[in-house]
Amino acid sequence: MEKVLEVKDLHISFDIHAGEVQAVRGVSFDLYKGETLAIVGESGCGKSVTSKALMRLLPTPPSRIKQGEILFEGKDLTKLSEKEMQEIRGAKISMIFQDPMTSLNPTMTIGNQIMEVLLKHQKLSKNEARNRAIELLQLVGIKNPELRIKQYPHQFSGGMRQRVVIAMALACNPKVLIADEPTTALDVTIQAQILELMKDIQKKMGMSIIFITHDLGVVANVADRVAVMYAGKVVEIGTVDEIFYNPKHPYTWGLLASMPSLDHKDEELYSIPGTPPDLLNPPKGDAFAPRNPYAMKIDYELEPPMFKVSDTHYAATWLLHENAPKVEPPKVVQERMRQFALSSGKKGGEFRG
Amino acid sequence: MAKQKLLEVRNLKQYFKTGKDQVVKAVDGISFDIYKGETLGLVGESGCGKSTTGRTIIRLYEATEGEVLFNGVNVHAKKSKKELKELNRKMQMIFQDPYASLNPRMTVADIIAEGIDIHGLAKTKEERMQRVYELLEIVGLNKEHANRYPHEFSGGQRQRIGIARALAVEPEFIIADEPISALDVSIQAQVVNLMKKLQREKGLTYLFIAHDLSMVKYISDRIGVMYFGKLVELADAEELYRNPIHPYTKALLSAIPLPDPETERVRKRIVYDPSQHNYKEGEELSFREITPGHFVLCSEAEYKQYKAMYT
Repeated sequence: MEKVLEVKDLHISFDIHAGEVQAVRGVSFDLYKGETLAIVGESGCGKSVTSKALMRLLPTPPSRIKQGEILFEGKDLTKLSEKEMQEIRGAKISMIFQDPMTSLNPTMTIGNQIMEVLLKHQKLSKNEARNRAIELLQLVGIKNPELRIKQYPHQFSGGMRQRVVIAMALACNPKVLIADEPTTALDVTIQAQILELMKDIQKKMGMSIIFITHDLGVVANVADRVAVMYAGKVVEIGTVDEIFYNPKHPYTWGLLASMPSLDHKDEELYSIPGTPPDLLNPPKGDAFAPRNPYAMKIDYELEPPMFKVSDTHYAATWLLHENAPKVEPPKVVQERMRQFALSSGKKGGEFRG
Repeated sequence: MAKQKLLEVRNLKQYFKTGKDQVVKAVDGISFDIYKGETLGLVGESGCGKSTTGRTIIRLYEATEGEVLFNGVNVHAKKSKKELKELNRKMQMIFQDPYASLNPRMTVADIIAEGIDIHGLAKTKEERMQRVYELLEIVGLNKEHANRYPHEFSGGQRQRIGIARALAVEPEFIIADEPISALDVSIQAQVVNLMKKLQREKGLTYLFIAHDLSMVKYISDRIGVMYFGKLVELADAEELYRNPIHPYTKALLSAIPLPDPETERVRKRIVYDPSQHNYKEGEELSFREITPGHFVLCSEAEYKQYKAMYT
């Protein structure tokens, strides 16, 4: 498979008066052509910072890329000048944000906002740009586009606004689309429509999507592969089936187990105790250890490397070390694993993506 | 054990004037009961009136029409200060946004004890602080937190403070308006477990308002579904998920993505179109019982049809 984007050992810190917040502490992943990679994790785990770094949208100072590379089309994005970056931003890599109300300009018509991207990057005439804007609105399922391009954001509902934002992001046929919680602010029925739209457009245009969310239901719906982040690191990465049915990291176990399943009502929900660590002073060893019921002595001493589970599946936990004791994951997770064994037996271990 | 009604909502209406001749019917004639010790979940999309319903029940808004009976007492009737105070003590609310619902200039102790002070539940300063410490312990925080300010806490911890504040006056009934929506998944489970534990220990009754349907199912005994100011379906949680009858409920349930890639690959979404009912002019809609305890808003013709299909 063709790699579109490679992130290698990325470190990002914020310098604030209290010290250095190490928001991203060594993140590596690849993005393949036409796939959807979901990045999941709690607030503060560094998922949004990582995605903003890909677009070089973090203000410097206070932010600082300490180390690492972001390779895209043979260039290291961390080394580009602002001018060079402007050629890429919005044209080859574009982004959809969480809140469609704040990502649209309330004083500009929808049409002008979409045309702005086209005029800047594609050197179209005003008329051509206008026609393309109408086409794009049609593509994202907005009726009466000729009329709608003359309207302002406040004349659109939340779901429609997010469609407009998607239209803007797609205007220049980007290779990579970064969607940072694009449906979190929307109702479930509208969310379902937007997810269907994004999958549909991906099929038509073949771009790669990085989908950032904390909703595991949405992940199961859209992702081909999943990266789980905790305290500024990717702790587990694999295909969607591997992460949901054969997870290896105790943090992934905790996330999956804390979602209520449909048939276990009377049992208490599994919950991850405590709160995420303070990244001003990241703990020694595995950052998850203090909240990890399976933590061993070594977890407080040494950070675990990425252990290989399969060609597509890696997890950073000492539990995968050959000398580690066998542990039992939470019951709900064991059930998932059993289902996985059953269904993968039937399908002959076939994976998507 | 016979179920005892704690709260009765009768034909409650809440209209807001938005312009000269414009009226928003946020809540448009809904009726339901909440039994002692149960959790009633109220779900629906934004703007369906679920939060307005909660706020009208506790009289943050004056109802346009209809009545709310709490232990047989009409909440919206004229009351003396004393009666009102007594009622306010028994009904408490937990809000959605733990960042906006705590006064940033008050210490945690003062936030929690505000109700204690108003209702004179502590005789001495020591007793007051003792009570605050107990409450902090109950919600999983500790003594040292009492003198801090809200900004020093995370979202989950703030929501715990909000719960402690509600519990301080020993209420019987708590309205929780999207108490976990603003929290992370791992923290949501902590707060839901806490709410369930408190319910068991103190015999609390909850009205749990939310749009996250999987959590609602987990915590609720019964669930009501709202659509455009009306309650369209009400049933046992299990029953509602297994046998949804109203087409809107079906659409809503079919739109939730589940954390299960296998089922996600085959899930078909049902789309709800209000015109699909083909109601005739003057046809009367009412809330009718299809199977025991399972109510649906429907016309006489639909009622017969549903009856035939589901019994």
